[in-house]
Amino acid sequence: MSQSTTLPTAAAGTGEREFMLDVRTQDMEVNMGPQHPATHGVMRILIRADGEICTGAQPHLGYLHRCAEKIGENVEWLQYLPYTDRYDYLAAMNNNLGYSMAVEKLMGIEIPRRALMIRTICAELNRIGSHLVAFGTYGLDLGAITPFLYMFREREWMMALFEKICGARLTYSYIRIGGVFNDAPPGWLSEVERFCDTFEEKWQEYVDLLMVNHIFVQRTANIGVIPKAMALDFGLTGPMLRGSGVDWDLRRDMPYELYAEIWKSGCFQIPLGKGERGTLGDCWDRAYVRVMEMIESIKIVRWCLDSIAPGPVIAEIPKTLRVPAGEAYVGIENPRGELGHYVVSDGGKVAVRCRVRGPSFTNLAVLEELLPGALIADSIAIIGSTDIVVGETDR
Amino acid sequence: MGLLERQFEENVLTTKVDWLLNWCRMSSIWPMTFGLACCAIEMMAVGCAHHDIDRFGAGAFRASPRQSDLMIVAGTVNFKMAERIKRLYDQMPGPKYVIAMGACATGGGPYYKYGYTVVKGVDRVVPVDVYVAGCPPRPEALLEGLMKLQQKIQQSSVVRRPARTA
Amino acid sequence: MEFRGILDRLRAIGAPGLLGHDEPRGADPADKKDKGRAGDPFVLVDPQRLPAFLEVCRDDERLAFDILIDLTAADPSKDDPNLWVLVHLLSLAYRQRLTVKCALSKAAATMPTSVTVHRGAQWHERECGEMFGITFAGHPDPRHILLPEDWLGFPLRKDYVFPDEYHGISCK
Repeated sequence: MSQSTTLPTAAAGTGEREFMLDVRTQDMEVNMGPQHPATHGVMRILIRADGEICTGAQPHLGYLHRCAEKIGENVEWLQYLPYTDRYDYLAAMNNNLGYSMAVEKLMGIEIPRRALMIRTICAELNRIGSHLVAFGTYGLDLGAITPFLYMFREREWMMALFEKICGARLTYSYIRIGGVFNDAPPGWLSEVERFCDTFEEKWQEYVDLLMVNHIFVQRTANIGVIPKAMALDFGLTGPMLRGSGVDWDLRRDMPYELYAEIWKSGCFQIPLGKGERGTLGDCWDRAYVRVMEMIESIKIVRWCLDSIAPGPVIAEIPKTLRVPAGEAYVGIENPRGELGHYVVSDGGKVAVRCRVRGPSFTNLAVLEELLPGALIADSIAIIGSTDIVVGETDR
Repeated sequence: MGLLERQFEENVLTTKVDWLLNWCRMSSIWPMTFGLACCAIEMMAVGCAHHDIDRFGAGAFRASPRQSDLMIVAGTVNFKMAERIKRLYDQMPGPKYVIAMGACATGGGPYYKYGYTVVKGVDRVVPVDVYVAGCPPRPEALLEGLMKLQQKIQQSSVVRRPARTA
Repeated sequence: MEFRGILDRLRAIGAPGLLGHDEPRGADPADKKDKGRAGDPFVLVDPQRLPAFLEVCRDDERLAFDILIDLTAADPSKDDPNLWVLVHLLSLAYRQRLTVKCALSKAAATMPTSVTVHRGAQWHERECGEMFGITFAGHPDPRHILLPEDWLGFPLRKDYVFPDEYHGISCK
């Protein structure tokens, strides 16, 4: 589908062209959401349409505003951890990690090495799970129902792995301040290895089934192009930024936890959008980055599995935390981009400010710019390619 | 079935109207695609191959309230959303059912105390038939909730009994 | 570049509105009550000149803070007469971060918008506006973003009173 708005041409003299030119269109406002199968949650977009072409878009948020930041100022440091699970509920491990790291930065705790390993394994597995949902639902948006079922099959196994290690399928609260909640149960690590083996095979299936599928490419290539300058101006991060060809990944460029070591070992790469099937920065490139990242995450997990050694999994911390006065910002690479936690402490049991910088929130803002000029059918492809989680945009 | 028995050919079954209608209703509950928050991911998992809600005839997720019988409120409801939920519920054709999935839809959940925009339970906005506990509930829990709803439907009757006078 | 290097550069190019800076430090052994300060350093900037400051940070070739990661505010305490407005900047070229802090009076919480410098600031400023009651002069679209349009009060201020009911739905 092209985004051109040229008038249809017809043979001159038949009167058909004159007739088509005479069709006067009127701007119409189309409301999409908050209950709409293609909005990835309860988001509402008001689209002004001229015929089939969007001329304006206005995202409305706040249908899932759950006051996470206010709660952060009212509950104790450790008690806030379960709330971090619930803003980006597709990548709860990563959220736990981000919050714990922010508090640890203020407290200056040394994390045991085994805990760092398990944290990395969990965060990367969760990244795979999150991208599976992102990619599966993207196919669903574009009319491909089968890949979604395939991807939930692998995700189900991944969730079973998490259930074995912490007892929850979705909201883990497993990565704690100072380490992780408990050690991996016996046999867990070898099961992760089996998962990695199986996943690599299945991953090829997804690529064949959806990524290079002609219909999928037609629906996504050259659609919703984000040039590099626009990506920087809007402060995009994560696959949205890398899809536009900007080589930036916090895991490599501002490494935290073990990532400096892992990057030095040369086991993983940062996939970038190259405009392979269309223009650089189109929807296909963003989907491509996510799909390639899954396999890179598997490599990181394998590195951890090879070098994990027994040891303690949590540092000594008191039951009631008193965090030293100060303020710290920690940004980590979430599946969706940079997840930032900015915490302020006055030395007490409760935070003064607990700001969450959700990547979906900033990534979504670009819609106002992307949708005008696109066809209504393509707007679904564009919204899907931003891969937002409404829990995080609204917090 | 007294009178009617042995009056027809062999492959005709006789039953009560109530039983037949209830059986139809409970075996093809069409839910609405209506995920709000975290619980929606578990609702998606229920719809997928591993848990397969289709076994209970409730796998046809409809995008429009006009075509659906069941609203699974899967997640936190806030004030901005509550008005929409009410409207969607009003748009559904009767008989209609509501499952409140998870702690938030049941009673505000973890957001009860400090969540200034959170509605403390969706039953303040629409009537709820079945509450499913958990944060989020496991897929099996949602299936159990669905079976409870089916039991409830089984007990309903189309005949309006006259109000009893004392 | 470390924080000191950034600070020197900011001073060298005469960044507009730069008021001072603060760095984490250990406890003062002479003063028993002093526990020091942990965490990140930040620079203090005059809120009225924040957009000009951000522009300089973005365009200077040795700073190149081209991404505005976050723009938010904080209410340090009920008794404090000021709000903080915080900007987190990121430089892709030099792999460095900078936290910018502005003290803004609660009584007259108005400052110019930064949308002219970073368009990504637009939604962040809308959120600050509804949560803290800060007015960003010149903002293209100053509606509420997360809260309903008719919401009263500024929830993230420390003196916020939780509502009793909203449109007939009880909050208790």
